[in-house]
This record gives sequence, C-alpha cells and structure tokens, in this order.
Amino acid sequence: MTPAKRWLPFTLKIALLTLLLLWTLVPILWMVLSSFKPNSIITANTPRLLFTPTLEHYATLFSGGNSLWPYLTNSLLIAGTSTLIAVVLGCMAGFGLSRIRIKGKQHLAFWIISTRMAPIAAVIVPLYLLFRYLYLLDTHIGLIVAYLSFNLPFAIWLMTAFFDDLPPDLEEAAMIDGATKFQAFRLVVLPLMTPGLVTTAILCFIFAWNDYAFAQTFSGPGTQTIPIAAAQLLTQTGIDWGKLLAIGTIVVCPMAIAGLLVKRWLVKGLTLGAVK
Amino acid sequence: MATLQLNDIVKDFAGTQVIKGVDLEVKDREFVVFVGPSGCGKSTLLRMIAGLESVSSGDILIDGQRMNEVGPAERGLAMVFQSYALYPHMTVEDNMGFSLRLAGVDKEQRRQKVLEAARILQLENLLERKPKALSGGQRQRVAIGRAIVRNPSIFLFDEPLSNLDAALRVQMRIELARLHEELDATMIYVTHDQIEAMTMADKIVVLQGGIVEQVGSPMALYHHPRNRFVAGFIGSPKMNFTDVEVHDVAPQGVLVRLPGGGESRIPVDGNGCQAGDIATLGIRPEHLVLDDNGPLTGEIVVIERLGGVTSLYVQCFGEEWILVTDGEVSHRVRDSVRFGFAPTRAHLFAEDGLALPHLERHPLVNVERKENRAATS
Repeated sequence: MTPAKRWLPFTLKIALLTLLLLWTLVPILWMVLSSFKPNSIITANTPRLLFTPTLEHYATLFSGGNSLWPYLTNSLLIAGTSTLIAVVLGCMAGFGLSRIRIKGKQHLAFWIISTRMAPIAAVIVPLYLLFRYLYLLDTHIGLIVAYLSFNLPFAIWLMTAFFDDLPPDLEEAAMIDGATKFQAFRLVVLPLMTPGLVTTAILCFIFAWNDYAFAQTFSGPGTQTIPIAAAQLLTQTGIDWGKLLAIGTIVVCPMAIAGLLVKRWLVKGLTLGAVK
Repeated sequence: MATLQLNDIVKDFAGTQVIKGVDLEVKDREFVVFVGPSGCGKSTLLRMIAGLESVSSGDILIDGQRMNEVGPAERGLAMVFQSYALYPHMTVEDNMGFSLRLAGVDKEQRRQKVLEAARILQLENLLERKPKALSGGQRQRVAIGRAIVRNPSIFLFDEPLSNLDAALRVQMRIELARLHEELDATMIYVTHDQIEAMTMADKIVVLQGGIVEQVGSPMALYHHPRNRFVAGFIGSPKMNFTDVEVHDVAPQGVLVRLPGGGESRIPVDGNGCQAGDIATLGIRPEHLVLDDNGPLTGEIVVIERLGGVTSLYVQCFGEEWILVTDGEVSHRVRDSVRFGFAPTRAHLFAEDGLALPHLERHPLVNVERKENRAATS
C-alpha cells in the first residue's frame, strides 16, 4: 500500500472513534460539569464552560430533611446484596449446568435464560400482588428478590458460558490429585473464574443500581433508592436541575470508576470465546 | 507398584455402548499401551480406570481390590492429560506439589519431593514460573512431574504427546521409556499413534469400536496379527491386502492363486478352509521385494524417496500396492516392475477377517522388550 492509502483508513478510524466518543461522553461530561455550576448559569441560554465551581448542590443533597444518605445506603445494600446472591448462586448453578450430562440440557439452559426475556412491565403487576401477599412491599428483601428474578437467570447463563470455556480436565486433574469435587471447584476452578465473576457481578450490579421501575413500584419510604430520589426532584413546581445533575453524577461515577478498575477482567469476560 | 484387572467392563452412554465388555490384565511394572483409531473407546477406558467415568457393568480391580465405587482421589493413580491440565494460576512448584498440599504434607517435605521430581525431569530452573511461560515440552514435563510427585501405584497417560511437534515427540518418547525404567512403575498409555505403541509398550492393547481386537507384545502384533484390522493398523505404511482364491489346503500350508495367475503356498494352518474359498492375502510393504522373476507385476504410479528407504506405489491388476525398498533404487514413475515375497512373511485372512495361524511363530515374538533393550545397550 502507498502511504496515502495507509493514511486514509487510519484517519477514518480516528474520525469515527472521535465521533463515537463525543456521542457517548459529551452528555456525561456536561452533566458532571454542570453539577458544579451555580443554579443561575445551569440553564443559561448560552452554555458556559468557564465558571467558578461550587459544591452547593452536593452539600444540599447530603444535608437537611431529605438527605440523599438513606437513598444511597438503600441502593448500595439492595444492589450489593442482590448482586452477591446472583453471583454466588449463578456461579454454582452455572458450574452444574456446564458440567452435568443430561438429556435436554440445552433446553433447560434456554428455559432459564428465557425467564430474563420478559419485559419488566409484564412482571411488575404479578410481582406486586405476590409481594403484597408476602408482606414484601417496602422491604429491602422485596427489592432484592425482584432484582434477583432478573439477575439470577442472567448470571446462571453467563457463568455457564464461562464454565463451558474452562476445560473440565483441570477439575479432573485436581480430583486425581486427591481433591474432593468441592476442593477442585474452590482451589482450581474458582480462581480461574475471576473474569467471569467480575463481569457477571458488574452487569448484575448495573441492572439493580440503575433500576427505576421496580424501585418505584415496590419501595416505600424506608427503602427508596437513588433513582427514586432523582425522580422526586421533578416536581410540579419545577425541576431542581442542580441537585438532579449532582445525583446523576453520584449514580454514574462509582460505576465508571469500578468499570475502569476491573477493565482488564471485564474485557476478558465480555469477549469470552471470541478468540480461540 | 500395582496390578490392574478389568473384568468384562462395559460403558454405556445414553443407550450407546462405547466399551463392549473388555477383559484385561496389567502386570506389576508393565508398560501397557491402548491403541486404536479415534472413537475406539481407548480414552474412555482409561478414564474409567482413573475413576473419572463410571462403570456401567464389570469390575475394575487394582491390586485385587474392587475399585468401581472408589473415587479418583482414593485410587492412588496419577494421570497425565492430553491438554496437560496444568493449573494456570499456580507456579510449576505449586502445580507439582498440589497433591501433597491436599494430602496435608508440610511445606518443607513438599518442597523436597517436588525438587526430587524436578531433578528427574530437569525442571529445577522453572519452578517459579507459571504454565503460560513454559514451552509445550516443558508443560508436558511439569504434567509428568505432577504425576511423579504423587508416587502413584499406576501412571495413566492420555495421548500425552499429541500436542507436541514431531521432533519433540520423539525426544519425549525416549524420555518416557527411560522414566519407566527409572521409576519401575506400572504405566498405562493411550495413543492413536502406532509408532508410540510399538516403541514404548511391553504390551499393546488394540481397540476398535469398544472391543479389544488383540493384546500382545509389539512383535506379536506385528508378526502375528489376530485379524485383518490389527494387521492393517499395526505397521507403517499399511499392509497390502488383496483377495485371493484358495486352491489347495495341505498340512504344509494353503496354496493360493495370486492376481495375474501365479501361485504361492502360504505356510499357515488352513483348518476350516477349503479349495474355492476366497481369502485375503496380506503382505507388509517392507516384505515385498523387487524380483525380476517375482509372481506379481505392475506399473509404478508414485515414488516417495525418504533417503534411507523408498516407497513405490505400484498399480497391480487394479489394486495399488506399496513396496518399501532400499533408498538406492533408480526406478521412475510409469516404469514396469516385477516383485515377489517370501511366503513365510505373508498373512492369510479367512472371510470373517480372522488370520489363519502361521505354522511357525516368529522368533522375536517372545523376546521381552526389556531383555531386548538390555541386549542392545
């Protein structure tokens, strides 16, 4: 290829990537930036890039009668617990499903993931009725169960794929070396599953952390999560943009930081099976 | 050190029998090779011995003890997998010492045993490395080291050399034979490569379709194959086969009519055979000789020169024959050649595929591999 021919696809690639980055990053950056703007210039007709940053929105969020702390604790508790349970159970079920030799295994696996395919809107009313009978409305457990109903099949399905990718020779070698089935799982299989566990955990956590529909329906005064807090700022008298943008930043930042921290495993996990 | 006995072993996978009643006895310190084409059940049989597959019926006895329901950990065996199955997150030392760690052996003793195995396999400098930083041959050695450390009663090998390149395979083959000598252990080795089987085994078990076709020393299988399958499977290039008509059966052998009209009396026991029967004549390529007065004739279609020897592919009355001759022959493609064979070297198979027994046993058949090696070293 001539230098010009090589140069052209390269510039095209860079241009496309820049466009994609602008498309995804600008709204987020704008949100983060604006959360530090004083109220007077947030909605200014001419967007301002230069201003004196202020923490007033964050300060008011975490003080006063309707502080964000309980919402944040609820979100962390509910999303964290449901993720933990989904990953632990998903890991064990996925291992079983991957290794067992039974007729119609693929149908069983498909049936499990198919429960994840129902739209939230379709299950929300039946779940509401069930939760009412079981006194699970406005409880942490209720929301954890609701998120699990979606996250567990997903976790099982994802972990099955990860285990399928791990040759059974390794566990067999461990068992011949004198390990019990559980020791082989704990000492040999599990340490090799880190990318799978991290990927599954992050994806499950994102679902629970970002959810609005379940939280809006099943939570009460004691169990509301951050997305509910954000929605409460949209009132009939107006929108408190400053606080809303600050909440948005609080919702996005932990996920972005966690994503960056585990990037190494996440890439490995999400590209599973792509390269043999 | 241990003996192994398989009594009428059957393995059933969802209604399909993959092992159909295998009987076998492995003596103490014997090197036994299971060989056969893909899907013959050799790996399944090995995994059943290891305890990784359940036994549908029959008994597995190790040192006389029934092992069917005993888990792999308690059978006291070690296995080297085709994929090596090294634990990727552990160093070479941890890989080799894993079984001792599980057994609760203290760290110092563990290190001692690992070092000893590492010395035998020349792995001392690699103990701190992870498997991904090793070459194929080194990984193979670690896998063997892991087996040695366990001090098993029987070593099991599942096609351990099939992922190595040709040169390394030859080297590892020799190392494994040496290791068997040094450890003096019972070893069972699975391969589809008949050269590995011939060079390493005290005893070869030829399997096909879940059935044992023949058990015997390499030389017994080579010189006295029990049936047409074994005759074709053992030996490279493959034995030449051609259908012939039986003309006469006498105590000194069976007279057959060769393609092209010649006749030859093959010194085999023709009991059960009669004139007019169709039998299959089998002659190994290395036992065919170029001979201007030979009974067979044909045109050379391909010549493969390997230097020391030359293979001639000859079209002879509608069938392709392979002759392995010495490397100096100057024939060219499309040359016409005559060739023959010594009748004592020929095999005759009845219509059911079973070999008619030779009247005389080959002198090398009863020579044990170890004696053989002792005499040459």
